[in-house]
Amino acid sequence: MASSCSQALRHHVCKSSRILQEIVIPKKKTWSKEAVLQALASTVNRDPTASDYRFQDDPYLTPKTSSEFKLFSLSQESGRNAAKYFISTYPKYFQKDYAQPHIPCLMPETLEAQIEEVSEAALIERIQMRKVKAAVDLYDQLQQAGTPVSLDVTNQLLDLICFYGDCDPAQENVPEQRNEETEDVQDEPQTKKGRASKASDKLKAAWKENNNAERIFALLSEPNTHSYSALIRGMVKYGAYSKAFSTYTDLLNNQLKADVSTFNALITAAPEVKEKYNEKWELIVDLLKQMAEQKVKPNLLTLNAVLKALRRCGTVGKSQAFPVISEMRALSIDPSLASYNHLLSIFYKPGAPFQGQTDILQEVMNEVSGKSFTPQDPDDAQFFITAVRICLDTKDIEQAYRVHELLGVGENWRLLGNDFQQNIYHARFFSLLCMMENIDVVLKWYRDLVPSVYYPSSNVMRDLLQVLDTDNRLDLIPQIWKDLKQLGHGNRQTLVEELLTLMAREKQNQEVQETFAECALDIKKMYDTGDRGKVMMSWTAGSLSDLVSVLLAAQRRQDAWEILKLFKTHNRVPSEELLDKFLTCIKESGDVNQALELVQISAGFCLPGTPKLIQRVQQEFLLSEQQKSMLSDLEIQTFNSD
Amino acid sequence: MATSLVRQTKLLSIVTSQLSSAACFRNIHCTAACLKNRAARIRVGKGDKSVTYEQAYHPHHIGHRKGWLSQHTSNLQGEDGAAERVVEDVFIRRFMYGTFHGCLADEIVIKRRGNLLVICAVMIQKLLPSKFYFLIGYTEELLSHFYKCPVKIEMQTVEEKVVYKYL
Repeated sequence: MASSCSQALRHHVCKSSRILQEIVIPKKKTWSKEAVLQALASTVNRDPTASDYRFQDDPYLTPKTSSEFKLFSLSQESGRNAAKYFISTYPKYFQKDYAQPHIPCLMPETLEAQIEEVSEAALIERIQMRKVKAAVDLYDQLQQAGTPVSLDVTNQLLDLICFYGDCDPAQENVPEQRNEETEDVQDEPQTKKGRASKASDKLKAAWKENNNAERIFALLSEPNTHSYSALIRGMVKYGAYSKAFSTYTDLLNNQLKADVSTFNALITAAPEVKEKYNEKWELIVDLLKQMAEQKVKPNLLTLNAVLKALRRCGTVGKSQAFPVISEMRALSIDPSLASYNHLLSIFYKPGAPFQGQTDILQEVMNEVSGKSFTPQDPDDAQFFITAVRICLDTKDIEQAYRVHELLGVGENWRLLGNDFQQNIYHARFFSLLCMMENIDVVLKWYRDLVPSVYYPSSNVMRDLLQVLDTDNRLDLIPQIWKDLKQLGHGNRQTLVEELLTLMAREKQNQEVQETFAECALDIKKMYDTGDRGKVMMSWTAGSLSDLVSVLLAAQRRQDAWEILKLFKTHNRVPSEELLDKFLTCIKESGDVNQALELVQISAGFCLPGTPKLIQRVQQEFLLSEQQKSMLSDLEIQTFNSD
Repeated sequence: MATSLVRQTKLLSIVTSQLSSAACFRNIHCTAACLKNRAARIRVGKGDKSVTYEQAYHPHHIGHRKGWLSQHTSNLQGEDGAAERVVEDVFIRRFMYGTFHGCLADEIVIKRRGNLLVICAVMIQKLLPSKFYFLIGYTEELLSHFYKCPVKIEMQTVEEKVVYKYL
């Protein structure tokens, strides 16, 4: 407790000393309830040997590949959904409330609307439960009955319809077989896929002509700003851009003022309605001028919408981006990570060559370093991926380190995105490290990130092998092979062949050669065992020769002899150098029979180098009469076949 | 029902005392039979029955050679709720036994820290890990909603039941 006091005091002191240059010690300080826990948590870093917090801490239950990661987290999630199904189907068993204070999220949630009569309260209830079709039907019933519905409630209804695009949101917990709920669930295009619909599925639904939103809007006698705002935002969200602009002109004709979210939506729609870059920019400027006329204050989302639109404006975007940011700064709107993301995307188009723009990333990093950001815009999550992509393209390792450091500040780890985006980020970061840094640094990061945070793909592992090669640390190959097997890449043919080639290339010292031989025999097992469902690898002449050379270099003649026999079974032809090397090895041991067998194998493959081999055997070995005659026979045979 | 039984015993004791001339009373015991000397003990048999460490040691070894299977603070001075904790524990044990049927290697340990209920289980590697995770997610969610407190499962797996000795 005392250490946390002093730590927070030091922090407070640092903050105040930056402003006032003198130490102000407060008289009394109150702590939040979690202060001790937070202080304790700040002393512990991430454990690089443990897997993600979602999983159980047991070797059998830890995921070792990225597909296992996904499978385990999804199966845990589906278990939760199964429990939620039971809880919502039999809520009477879960009503007893032990918790003080009351915990609302642990009570069973009601999925059916309670109020049955046709009234405004029932409409409000259905709006809150996000039942779009039911709410629209109830509204129609109320209209027919002649009950006036207040403008506020109608605006809420319009909001609901425009947000969901006139479709019911797909229920995530209800399994697809349950059709006793409304029939509309079956009409939805989302239910074709057996999983919860993503935002991309929803946006595919286009804004239909004369749908409920427009119809209800037309029924309103005096639509106000909120109604227009809901309609315009719905139109922009679902792709009816020109309609949105015509609705906006209607709004102006009715002498109403638009609010800031309407303008944000219109700015987002501006690049879609015009073709040329200048026209797009002029439309945006026009909208901003109207905003100023109507005395509507822009907010952060306005800035982000303008920057996002500038991404589609080519060269105009590059010239206008910085002035926009400075003007917004003057209005005390601080850019969020999404703004920086759009800025980077404007200047660093993927695939385009860079001409002296590397300092923009540096300036952006100078701005954001050390700050903790909160999520304020959905595009905030794209920042880290874009930044690391730019570092990878410009091969800038310094900035990459700064980006990674930013991830460790405060709450920024929340802005890294979902598992898929995290994987992309780490893949790019690690590839950049492999390209730029030496082996010790790479291995340090490797041990830190893999496999607790990141499961590398086979391409990234190939980059790692290249680094080993460049820095001449081939003795680490057996360890990397073990990791490869664990990650599930042990049966990728190109990767395994590259491993064998690297091992066979040069002769290493004795102990390293021994480990190589063990590793090579292990690799051979991967070719043989046809595990059910696993991809089978096939031997090539190159890989077989590499395997034999590795074994010969480690003086394992017997194993090498077995492999040599595999050439015949798999219909591959050994090279002459290989057989030469083998003969030299045999000579060291002096086994004459084996030498003769080697010559016979060579003759069997009709290799052009057979006569030379025969000569070598005749010169270097002590042969009996029988063996000499056999050799001369073979010589005549090969001579005749030439 | 308890009061009527007490009245019956009093009646019967009066009757029996009148019947019997000797001064000793023969009362009727009305509680269920709690055989303290047979609970949680596996008796020595032929030598083919395998027992785990938990089963091998008898209840009087708790605190000496065994730990506690259920850890909470309601048995301390001035704390209440012990009976409710016992009922919850019984339910949780039966629930886990049924949900992870055939997978439990040993008794479940239940720990309560503040609001949090931690169920520690040792399982046999009978199911695929994805199936284990499905059941873990299901149990955590269902028990959390049932007891209105966060429930966490800490699981450890072994290849087969760990045998301590054969009785």
